[in-house]
Amino acid sequence: MSRYPHWPIHLALSIASAAMLVPFYWVLKTSLTGENIFTFPPSLLPESPHIFYYVDVWYAIPFLRYLFNSIIVSVIVVVANVVLNAMAGYALTRDFPGKGATILLFLSCMMIPFQVTIIPAYLITSEMGLLNSYVGMALPLASTIVCIFVFKAAFEAIPKSLIDAARIDGVPDWMIVFRIILPLTKPAIATNVILSFIWSWNSFLWPLVIVRDAQMQTLPLGLARFLSVVEDTTGALYAFCVMVLVPGLIIFLLAQKEFITGLTSGATKG
Amino acid sequence: MAGGADNAPALEGRRRGLAGLIPGSRKRSRDLALIWLFLAPSLAIFAIYRIVPLIWNAVLSFQFWSPYKPAEFAGLYHYEEMLFYDDAFWQTLWNTLIFMASAPVGIVFALAVALLVDTNIRGRNVYRTIFFMSYPVMTVAVGIIWQWLFNENVGLINYVLIELGIIDRGIPFLESFDWALPSVILASIWQVIGFYMIILLTGLQSIPPSLYEAAAIDGANALQRFRRITLPLIRPSLFLCFVVGIINSFTAFDLIFVMTGGGPGHATDLLITYIYSIAFRLSKFDYAAAITVVNFLLFLALAFLANRLAGGEAGAVKTGG
Repeated sequence: MSRYPHWPIHLALSIASAAMLVPFYWVLKTSLTGENIFTFPPSLLPESPHIFYYVDVWYAIPFLRYLFNSIIVSVIVVVANVVLNAMAGYALTRDFPGKGATILLFLSCMMIPFQVTIIPAYLITSEMGLLNSYVGMALPLASTIVCIFVFKAAFEAIPKSLIDAARIDGVPDWMIVFRIILPLTKPAIATNVILSFIWSWNSFLWPLVIVRDAQMQTLPLGLARFLSVVEDTTGALYAFCVMVLVPGLIIFLLAQKEFITGLTSGATKG
Repeated sequence: MAGGADNAPALEGRRRGLAGLIPGSRKRSRDLALIWLFLAPSLAIFAIYRIVPLIWNAVLSFQFWSPYKPAEFAGLYHYEEMLFYDDAFWQTLWNTLIFMASAPVGIVFALAVALLVDTNIRGRNVYRTIFFMSYPVMTVAVGIIWQWLFNENVGLINYVLIELGIIDRGIPFLESFDWALPSVILASIWQVIGFYMIILLTGLQSIPPSLYEAAAIDGANALQRFRRITLPLIRPSLFLCFVVGIINSFTAFDLIFVMTGGGPGHATDLLITYIYSIAFRLSKFDYAAAITVVNFLLFLALAFLANRLAGGEAGAVKTGG
């Protein structure tokens, strides 16, 4: 490979990267200047940037309320995912009657996209009295099959002898869990935290269906609602976009490796 | 797949339980109870939100039902209405198929990028990050950004096209019956392309370098190596990408809801957005359920087809063990 000059590859990749980055750059620039909305032709560099639109958003909508709702739902989803998937993943490392059938059941559930169950899922949630509630928003995402298998693989990778040795030495079970198992499954936990966080943070269709109360809306709902109110005539809309994009982006950049591992090990969303 | 787990419970029973006086059966049943207890919450969630809804949805599609009146058997009424009297259904079905069929465009582009970032150039991780960055971000925001890039008067895309002399005045992309669907598809490809790239990259990296070396010694040129080694060996990854593309036609709901709302007319309505409107705007849950059945069958058929073409590997989870 090294026989080839590298610059054509860099050139091609730079052009393609630029195309991928333009939407991000454009929304950031407009949120700081608002100029492309009112002026044509648009300027390529931000002229006299200001944070007026961010202040505008802050007062125009209950941003903190949306943020709070999003965080609550995400925390419920992430905690539930780690605990429930770890439990189920551990159970699947053991031998028990019905294990094959359980695995088959999990795998077939992966073939049912949540979107095709949305109508009865709404009716069931309504029967359970969970419309307009955090639990109602979080429950369908509370366990993820992909992550169950990630945990299963992680538990299977722990050498049995290690745990047996600890047992013989008289180490209590809770200490085995916290001092041996948890540290060794840290990558699986990280993968699960990242995936479930991103899924619940971005989740739109489900909250749209079950949340009517404006006080319970999460960030994506608030954003869509703001769009329908202001149309596209204000920089505030794009400031709002930046404010919802940034947390997801930061978390992704910090934990890119875990995120990609998780996606490629299962590769089906949902 | 399932094998290779432990016989430890029996051993433990012997070691612990009063030096084997209790033959481990109580320990065993306690163990079993614990295993099912661990599985129960996840199983319950999948039962409540996947299995029961799937069955209920099928039943609903053969009923007259609304929240205000009791269910009544409808036979194939909804399916007849859908297939013979609902033009919008056919258009949304067609749109969904076009949307799915556009996946290879993104996959080909992603393959090109994956091949380039699989070389040993400097900064390849930065490129990978940039390409993947659009995937995990909030789709609602992505829709808003693209809606405005496509804007007729001040959109960047029209500006660039005018500057290049390709068009004289702005095209109202999202309000046009011809352009709306391709525009939405472009935005969708932009978002998912990084995911395709990662899947293909994983496939490329699993090819042993010795194969290429051997082929090079035998005098195969780069194109031959690509066609004879790379393509056959990443076939599972390619079809996995296609499955992701099919699933993308469900998750594209957010994008379409924000960018066009399914309009103009039904020009950008996919089955999933149409189902949403019928069920949650018109409260015709029974009819929407019938369309959902069609949507699900379409998904299954295509996923099955992709799986067969890939040699039974696409979408398979490494269950280990």
